[in-house]
Amino acid sequence: MTGEVLDTIVATETPEGIVLELRPAGLSARFYAFLLDLALRGVALNFMAIPLGLMGGMGIGILLIVAFLLEWLYPVAFELTRSGATPGKRVFRLKVVMDNGLPVTPAASLARNLLRTADFLPLLYGFGIVSMLLRRDGKRLGDLAAGTMVVHEHAMAARLTIGDVAPLPPSTPLRPQDQAAVIALATRASTLTAERLDELAALAASVSGDKGRQGPDVTRRVLGVAQWLLGHRA
Amino acid sequence: MTPLRFERLHEDEWAELAARLEAMRRRKDQATLLEGSQPSAERITALYRRTCEHLALARERAYPTYLIARLEQLTEEAHQTIYYQRVFGLGALRRMITDGFPRAVRRDAAYVGVAAAVFVIPTLVLGLIVYWSPELILSMMSADRAADFDQMYSPAARAIGRARTADTDWVMFGFYIRNNISVAFQCFAGGLFAGVGTLFFLAYNGAIGGAVAGYLTERGMASTFFSFVATHSAFELTAIVLSGGAGLKIGHALLAPGRRTRRAALVAATEESAIIIYGVTVLLLIAAAIEAFWSSAGWLPAAIKYTVAAVCWTAVIGYLVIQGRRAG
Repeated sequence: MTGEVLDTIVATETPEGIVLELRPAGLSARFYAFLLDLALRGVALNFMAIPLGLMGGMGIGILLIVAFLLEWLYPVAFELTRSGATPGKRVFRLKVVMDNGLPVTPAASLARNLLRTADFLPLLYGFGIVSMLLRRDGKRLGDLAAGTMVVHEHAMAARLTIGDVAPLPPSTPLRPQDQAAVIALATRASTLTAERLDELAALAASVSGDKGRQGPDVTRRVLGVAQWLLGHRA
Repeated sequence: MTPLRFERLHEDEWAELAARLEAMRRRKDQATLLEGSQPSAERITALYRRTCEHLALARERAYPTYLIARLEQLTEEAHQTIYYQRVFGLGALRRMITDGFPRAVRRDAAYVGVAAAVFVIPTLVLGLIVYWSPELILSMMSADRAADFDQMYSPAARAIGRARTADTDWVMFGFYIRNNISVAFQCFAGGLFAGVGTLFFLAYNGAIGGAVAGYLTERGMASTFFSFVATHSAFELTAIVLSGGAGLKIGHALLAPGRRTRRAALVAATEESAIIIYGVTVLLLIAAAIEAFWSSAGWLPAAIKYTVAAVCWTAVIGYLVIQGRRAG
């Protein structure tokens, strides 16, 4: 498929012999998740500062320890949960996985988060941002060294909704990729304007024996073929 | 076979797999797969393999995208759940302390040795230089900072090592944890810049420490200063040198990856270094506790402090050199 050239999808093969497609998250999604995490950490720290501040020296000491834990171990602790993501990442439907798509290991999570220090240089995550922008898989330096990746979670695919169109057998036997194209058109039908749908259906009109014609009737017949291909029978 | 028939035929299995995965996720643990009920674990892996077959078939037959996407999502979730490793826990922690950490340090002894040299040599050189001509301290830090050090280690101070005597032990504990662990983590992360960052942070921190020691010795505060640092430095300086060694290891992997690609060598070196970083973190926590609660106590006689310091140094070095040599 030519479309793959533009995609940043990373394919990994599982031991079961199927290919999983990982969708690396880019700078903007990760930036928003980072901001949200930063805000959450700030709120948590300020919230704890009130009772701890009243406790005097010991309270301040504990507060400093909490600040330390929030700074270094907050991401590690959350990445090792089953969701594999900090709360900020979860909101933006991102998660951290190993390069092969497996859940992130403790060692890798610790490494990628400690190496933040290198990403932060020379200032404000300069190296990390440059690395994320230059790489197709959007890794920062810590991800490179730890062998991890931040990916988008799978979005739920839309169900097919062509509803009440009567099924129609194709006029000639269709090759699998042609069948797939007709069904894909039907899948997108509800998201297109009627005129555009007519234009696209005209390109596929030969499947219903209407080659060279265009219009709502042709479209109905093409969608009918899709209905038939999906397995609906009159 | 039409997509609809395919979907109808296997719908039950997919729904069952999804339901079982959901149940596992809600229970938040791996009990069903690891130890728990064997039949359930076998069922879930069998269903997973079936669904993988279905996905391969669906792709091969160019079934509609919504169907393929659904199977992709299902298999990916199952893959994540089935291969989830729970490698942390008390057992793993115990093994790390008894064997893993000291063995890893000995495995990387060459890097640790270089890191120690890069840290210690500037310490000694700067220490001697500043001892001979104390005014040079002013080219390393501002006069105010130097005056702070004067006050911190003055024999008259109630608690040693603090600019403001009002700060309690607990405040300093929190402060030391943040400060020292950050230094150690910097030494490690600097390795990503081909090791140059590590060398810089090691030499820089060594030089500052040496200059302060030389300056205070010349000012006649050697006793308070060295009795203050002797004990916790067993843990703190060791930890900084070890994390520097780990940083040099990943820097070396980048510069000379051997027969691997640069990236593969980097990932392998980082993974191997992780255990050293675990150990370093523990050492630094111990160091911070000692520094805040023990080293600072001005009323303890110096002799006791030096004795304890000698015991700590022997224990740390002995632990790293001897522990875990027998096959366990």
